[in-house]
Amino acid sequence: MIAFGCSITKPDQFRRCAEPGIRRAEEPGSERYVLPSIGSIAESYNATLDRAAERDDLEALVLVHQDAEIVDADLCAKLREALRDPEVGLIGCVGALDVRSIAWWEGSVTLASFINRYEAHGGGDLASFSWSWEEAPPWAQTGEVETLDGFVLAFSPWAVRNIRFDESLSQFHGYDLDYCLQVREAGRKVVTADFRAIHHREIEMLPDPEEWIEAHISVAEKWDGRMPRIGTAPGDWRERALRAEAERDVADALARTKVVELEARARELRRGIAETRESLSWRLSAPVRRLGAAR
Amino acid sequence: MIAFGTVVSDAEAYRRFAAAGVRLAAEPDSAVHVLSAVGSICRGTNLLLDTVAAAHGDELEALVIVDSRTELTDRDVCAKVRAALSDPAVAVAGAVGARAVRTLAWWGGEVSAAPVVYRYYEHGGGEMEGYGWAPPTVPLGEVDAVDGFLLVLSPWAVRNVRFDETLATGHGFDVDYCLQVREAGRKVVTADLRAIHHRTLELVSDFEAWVEGHIDLAEKWDGRWPGREPEADWKPRARRAEAEREAARTFAYSSANRLDAEVLALEREMAAMTGSPSWRATAPLRWINRMRRRRARA
Repeated sequence: MIAFGCSITKPDQFRRCAEPGIRRAEEPGSERYVLPSIGSIAESYNATLDRAAERDDLEALVLVHQDAEIVDADLCAKLREALRDPEVGLIGCVGALDVRSIAWWEGSVTLASFINRYEAHGGGDLASFSWSWEEAPPWAQTGEVETLDGFVLAFSPWAVRNIRFDESLSQFHGYDLDYCLQVREAGRKVVTADFRAIHHREIEMLPDPEEWIEAHISVAEKWDGRMPRIGTAPGDWRERALRAEAERDVADALARTKVVELEARARELRRGIAETRESLSWRLSAPVRRLGAAR
Repeated sequence: MIAFGTVVSDAEAYRRFAAAGVRLAAEPDSAVHVLSAVGSICRGTNLLLDTVAAAHGDELEALVIVDSRTELTDRDVCAKVRAALSDPAVAVAGAVGARAVRTLAWWGGEVSAAPVVYRYYEHGGGEMEGYGWAPPTVPLGEVDAVDGFLLVLSPWAVRNVRFDETLATGHGFDVDYCLQVREAGRKVVTADLRAIHHRTLELVSDFEAWVEGHIDLAEKWDGRWPGREPEADWKPRARRAEAEREAARTFAYSSANRLDAEVLALEREMAAMTGSPSWRATAPLRWINRMRRRRARA
């Protein structure tokens, strides 16, 4: 039996996003663990893992964020295929290699089969690189990775019974990397599989930078020396500090440049739209547009 | 006498912007020194300081260093320079600067700015509020450092402080100069100097060199940075900086996506307008109008 779970803080969002995906993917015998959040994501997910661990017939547990919608109706078959390898502990649809911090997207991302669907500015989709295999770059591949994005995770029965999220780290950030590191430290594999999901979320990636920074430091401190590359970097602490400060400021300058550039482009478009609206031909053709709209 | 000087790296830009502004701002007795760029920005500007110091004695009231792409738009610059330097402790004044500057990226501090304008030429061209990307949060007055696109130096600064030519990349030459001035016990201030900065939208063009420049400056001032305690334990600082770096990168992606979405919405609106049958049907009318305008201009 493949079970599905979700920890909920916003019931409306769950009904709109996660629930349709679970309904699409679950099988007649699937168990659902839809529970209100009980604190941090680690605490809530651990409570779900505890519940699922009681089932002797568990084949896998799929945990989705309340704003994540599974797209594949045949997800269960894909998970069974991936779990044929008994060493697999955790499966996802977005993963990366050479991961050095909770900013796993700074690593070599091998699979990103999701869409970021946003509502701002009339709404839109930001498709990640392997959403469509026809358009995917040559490095897009399923297989073993170092970490997964936690918005959709499938756990093997072994993981459900043996590994718990670290409740000491953060309210939200870095829980997925830490779990993957625990699975790998225990000698099991973390893999991506060919399924897709829609992440219904606003574009802003870091609404709470201070909390994110603290989580980054906590995870680095925890794993430095325990897992290669995590929390380490070339040079002594002084050199690392000076380089990181420089690279931080250049990233900040890049962000500011982007804002200025896109503002210039937006101004150009607004100017064009205003000129079009004020033009004689636009005003002359207004009755035709009104007629078209009325139809 | 207030002198004006420019180290010219782009002759056309100098003619269009800096020279035009200096003509507007200079007084009848002002000396104008124009030198071609030689080596790094520090070396070229030191040559300018040496030239001015040698050419003028006690009559020198100030040197206004104008970047080739800076256009002064204020007839009262000289009066404002005199007002800014009326405090004998003031050695450097600028149009834009910041307090609580911790690194070469001075705009990460509390920005203080005159209403300068930022004129760009991409995307059909346009103007923005000078430092809209680093909005001013404190009034004009004493600051830690000022932006080098417009620098006013007191006679003391012209004669006693030089730009550091060991800063190989040249990035941060202005911040370093201000640090030297403050280390010598003098003040740096922002003043109401009006100008247009004609530049591209890109704030940093060569990231690698900029990072190296950032490190060079931090190395040079480690333990001496005015207002900063020497670092006792580098580990927490490194951990935090590494986290802040990843956060800044993520924020950069995030801002780009957010603004892309806004631009995409405008592009959709524009395409819907200009792709409509009524707009296409009236294309001949617009063509006739364009021809008429062109003929009228001719």
